Amino acid sequence: MNIKRLLPFILFISIIVLFWRGLGLHPNEIPSPLMNETVPQFHLPLLFNPAHSLSNQDFYGHITLLNIWATWCSVCAEEQDFLLQIAKQNDFYLYGLNYKDDPAQAKKWLAHYGNPYRLIGIDETGQVAIDWGVYGTPETFIIDQKGIIRYKHVGALTSNNWETELLPIIKKLQMEAK
Amino acid sequence: MKKPIFILFMICLTSSLCFAADEYDSFLSFQEQQRFHALTRELRCLVCQNQTLDQSNAALAADLRAKIYHQIQEGKSDKQIMAYLTSRYGDYILYRPPFNRYTLLLWCGPFLLLILAISYLFFYLSKARQTK
Amino acid sequence: MIPQLGNFAIILALCFALIQCIAPLYGYAKQQRLYFQLSRTAAIGQFIFLAFSLVSLILCFLNNDMSVFYVQQHSHRLLPLLYRIGAAWGGHEGSLLLWCVILSGWTFVFILLSSLGNSFSISVLPPTQAIHDKIIIILGLISSGFIIFLFFTSNPFIRIFPLNGIIGEDLTPVLQDPGLIFHPPMLYLGYVGFSIGFAFAVAALWEGKIEKTWAKACKPWIILPWSFLSCGIVLGSWWAYRELGWGGWWFWDPVENASLLPWLAATALLHCLIVGEKRQVFYGWTLLLAIITFALSLIGTFLVRSGVLVSVHAFANDPTRGLFLLLYLAFLIGGALMLYGCRIHRFYQPPHFQLFSRETFLLINSVILLTAVVTILIGTLYPIILDALNLEKISVGEPYFNTVFVPIMLLLLLLMGAAPHVPWRTAHVHIFWNKIRTVFLISLFITFLMPFAYSKLFEFEYHPLAGIGIGISTWIILSTLKYAYQRWHSQSLPFLPASAMIVAHIGIAMTVLGITINQSYAQERQMKMSIGETVSLAGYTFTFMQLSKSSHANFETLLATFAVKKAHHSPTSLIAEQRIYRSHDQRFSKPGILTNGWRDLYLALGTSLPDGAWTVRIYYKPLVRWIWAGGFLLLISGFLSLMNYRHKQNNYHEH
Repeated sequence: MNIKRLLPFILFISIIVLFWRGLGLHPNEIPSPLMNETVPQFHLPLLFNPAHSLSNQDFYGHITLLNIWATWCSVCAEEQDFLLQIAKQNDFYLYGLNYKDDPAQAKKWLAHYGNPYRLIGIDETGQVAIDWGVYGTPETFIIDQKGIIRYKHVGALTSNNWETELLPIIKKLQMEAK
Repeated sequence: MKKPIFILFMICLTSSLCFAADEYDSFLSFQEQQRFHALTRELRCLVCQNQTLDQSNAALAADLRAKIYHQIQEGKSDKQIMAYLTSRYGDYILYRPPFNRYTLLLWCGPFLLLILAISYLFFYLSKARQTK
Repeated sequence: MIPQLGNFAIILALCFALIQCIAPLYGYAKQQRLYFQLSRTAAIGQFIFLAFSLVSLILCFLNNDMSVFYVQQHSHRLLPLLYRIGAAWGGHEGSLLLWCVILSGWTFVFILLSSLGNSFSISVLPPTQAIHDKIIIILGLISSGFIIFLFFTSNPFIRIFPLNGIIGEDLTPVLQDPGLIFHPPMLYLGYVGFSIGFAFAVAALWEGKIEKTWAKACKPWIILPWSFLSCGIVLGSWWAYRELGWGGWWFWDPVENASLLPWLAATALLHCLIVGEKRQVFYGWTLLLAIITFALSLIGTFLVRSGVLVSVHAFANDPTRGLFLLLYLAFLIGGALMLYGCRIHRFYQPPHFQLFSRETFLLINSVILLTAVVTILIGTLYPIILDALNLEKISVGEPYFNTVFVPIMLLLLLLMGAAPHVPWRTAHVHIFWNKIRTVFLISLFITFLMPFAYSKLFEFEYHPLAGIGIGISTWIILSTLKYAYQRWHSQSLPFLPASAMIVAHIGIAMTVLGITINQSYAQERQMKMSIGETVSLAGYTFTFMQLSKSSHANFETLLATFAVKKAHHSPTSLIAEQRIYRSHDQRFSKPGILTNGWRDLYLALGTSLPDGAWTVRIYYKPLVRWIWAGGFLLLISGFLSLMNYRHKQNNYHEH
């Protein structure tokens, strides 16, 4: 008899616990279904050398970070400093995907904020980005040596989330390679 | 993480103010138009996450509508188009939640609850009257 | 100066709120009435100072005092006067202040009507002194918590200096509509008003017993907020329809759901109170519902302000504020439910009614409404549940809610037509069936006939499911009118007390009819149009006549004039706008609407194309206004129910 009387209280407390848990979640973030899938097939002209291209073939044999960015995204500008820092590390290649932008603007922007990328593909229409499941900027993917997508980070890279989220994964991939 | 969310929010506010009307309708047959509208109304805009692809004026929504339009023209079926999108964005893009083992409670719950609750009510009333 | 006064007023109000809930505790200890009178005075003081604070905030907006950070975020140099007032509650901090003002306002009205009740011809029955005292304490407790939350985490009077040429962030264009002036206050009058019902319930549990007059005393304090909430929800829907450009009026957005949940629970509660007043039964259930209704109001407040859910409506989301609200919510409701669990056995009454009786029907009403509440709550929270368990990430949208909510409501509507004809205590099925048979068969006939008639006579598409909605509305209207007729001619029972129920049920039927017809028979077309072109839809022709420009206080607008013509009638003009707000170069497409009460013709501009044409969306929306008309009838029914208490009627009868 007693439990029945306290049932409303128990149900309510479960809802409170759910909310409490919910406060720590990110409802806007969409996890990528491309985890552990091979890099999608694509072919984009390079920003500084349009005759050549960035394609899925460039992702094999080394750990790659693909950073999706645009000149109209103010957060990307904030991220640029940090990207310049980490680009100095040799354990991975940093590629950029310029999303729905004007190439001339993109070049100016890089001249101003710095260019940490080894290769930059321009996706003016955004159709290739759809294949990557991109829905905003900035986003960063970690791809392993076999061309398999292993992690996606939504939002700007900072020393904080670099240390806690991305660096451990890169280290793990390096161990796997050995 | 606050800033990008703020930007998304502002995009959504401005985009909710003009609906999305593209010129695709004039290039599709009536039946294809119906399919196009039906599909875009079943998909969620990922930028303005409380609007359908049909309603949203976000750039990504426009791109996705363009993708769907081209796929209809290529002769892909509705199922193929949905599969294309969910393989890239996950089930989140579906406005109607999928029916799988995780959402069983979601879809069946309300009706089960109603039946159980009314049954319990009658059971309780008969029992209470019997013990009087 | 004014912001400082406003801020100080909040501090004073907090002091009064604390006195309001603590002084009576001294009163109990020392057994002196003085402390209880002090507490009532403190409650009045709290209201006066909170109202003063809100007025200060509005003055800051009227003066466009950009040194106040909140004004800076929500106002602009060019913002028209009317919207500056509305902007006072357009953001989180200001709307929370409004929340507190309305909470203390309801307390004030409660004290006024309970003390001076006998002087008014339309009056309310005051509760017993013991209950009354405890209600004031509980309301003081709720107030104190919210004022603390307001002052320490969401203070609208925070100043920011220096002011070098700041012109303000401006109010979002969607909010720049008269709806902003009415919709939030109406909603809050509803939400917040349920705190009194909550206080009644907790007071009764605290007291340990329920007097015979408890339900009668509590009823108006649920019906009034319920009417305001109905009106608030309807205003919100109407506003969305006018502003958002695709003719939608309900989106199952988490914030909309947050306002619907207390409404559903309050509907169940008010029916239980009606029963409680007449038959003195269901007390245990009623107490629980009263707590649940206010709990849902608080949960709604939490969901909207904490960032836990994604919504177009949500205020600037802040998990720290969310945590505070959550803990407070847990304390208030958890405490109340714990008290309920411990004391409820004292209120148990065995049922004295037959299985087939009005009491049973009304119990089923509660069950169905609460099922609807749980359904919508689970649907809204399901993404969080799956995410918290690290399972899938899904989203739950309109298609889900429409699929589950409609069948549950149809069952309720079916019972709604039947219930007034079922007598209290004992009813016989064959007598009931004889009474209701004709109406039922007519409705059944119409269910099958109407879609057929529409498709043959009016050349609409055949929608068999529309018949269900039309049939059910007919069932409710005819059944209620039959009841009204019998009651009007009754020798023993007065008509006036029943008028509220009649108006309310017909209001619901109108809304259902409006929804059914609108969903089934609305038509739309979307195409490019250049000047001079004509398109036709649903028997009307739309000709794009001209484009002109116009300039207003804070926006420029492009006016597109269309001539709308139906065969054999002269044309009317329909103007749609594309506004550009100067503050942030924001575009806003304002639809043009032509209405005659029976149908709306709705036109919205999309984007302009290089060749000078525009993409245009045109809608034909039959009976859409009835959806909101029904809601307004609910507001009227709320006030009609107050007529029950006229002191002139010395021989007040049960109905």
